[in-house]
Amino acid sequence: MSAERVEVKEKVLSANDQIAAEARAQLVGHGVFSVNIISSPGSGKTTLLERTVDLLKPSLRLGVVAGDVQTRNDAERLERHGIPVQAIETGGGCHLNARQVSESLASLDLAQTDLLFIENVGNLVCPSSFDLGESLKVVLMSVTEGEDKPLKYPAAFRRASVLVITKVDLLPHLEFSTQTAIDNALSINPDLTVFSTSSYTGEGLESWTEWLTGQVSACKQGS
Amino acid sequence: MHEMSLALEILSICERELEKLPETRVTALGVEVGAFSGVDADSLQFCLEVMMSDRFDGVRCEVVREPGEAACPTCDNRFEVMQAPFECPECGGLARGLSGGQGLQLSYLEVE
Repeated sequence: MSAERVEVKEKVLSANDQIAAEARAQLVGHGVFSVNIISSPGSGKTTLLERTVDLLKPSLRLGVVAGDVQTRNDAERLERHGIPVQAIETGGGCHLNARQVSESLASLDLAQTDLLFIENVGNLVCPSSFDLGESLKVVLMSVTEGEDKPLKYPAAFRRASVLVITKVDLLPHLEFSTQTAIDNALSINPDLTVFSTSSYTGEGLESWTEWLTGQVSACKQGS
Repeated sequence: MHEMSLALEILSICERELEKLPETRVTALGVEVGAFSGVDADSLQFCLEVMMSDRFDGVRCEVVREPGEAACPTCDNRFEVMQAPFECPECGGLARGLSGGQGLQLSYLEVE
């Protein structure tokens, strides 16, 4: 029997993308602005979120979906700041997928949420492939990581809308050029909005939280 | 290392396609991986071979990397890129941003 070629041309993640589209419609319908936070392990996602939550809690209704390979440690840290947190333990999985996030959304009161943070598993490769239904992706990069990280892991920087450089309080101890790091990131994605922050000293957090507040307002007006 | 879960997704798309093609046997499949998709083509090849040979005896897996395209800000030349930085082959200018090279799709099945 002769072989026959059948054109398929189906996106491999079409099943994930379908669930993400439904989650996005649900979030937008409730006027929730949502952020998918991606970085290497140890870049400071949870600490940035703790500071951000403290600054925004008086003015906005917040929620968090916190993903980790194992333990509820990050979720417990964030719960101490008095906001609703849903933990996802991936049990070995190196990224969150839309199904996991969609199931977590069912346990959150979206009608009472203005801003939802989705803290992805610490990994700069795999999470960038999976749409979770978020409004946009934020990639973190700490100043201890090397200026060429955007060139080594282009997909995460390409798909993010925002780059938050973290731990800038450590710059006096390092040979790290923030400008070179930003130039490298912009060479991958010229549309990135960039913030330089320190969760330790609070530097840069005002611009970051003002930007978030502006996005929440724009999201409410659009819904 | 999410290539194994991607290989699983590809397997389930194959199974769905086969429902439309009863009494056929898959001999080969082709996957296109964007050079900027965040998916490692070699790892995906390995995962596919492991997973597919279990289900379809003797199947051949063809994984092809698809380039992205960058535009030179100096001379307007458009050129294919497989990795950053995006240096123009004509004038050496550095392009910022790219189009394409992001996707991941099952492009074809070969059946008999």
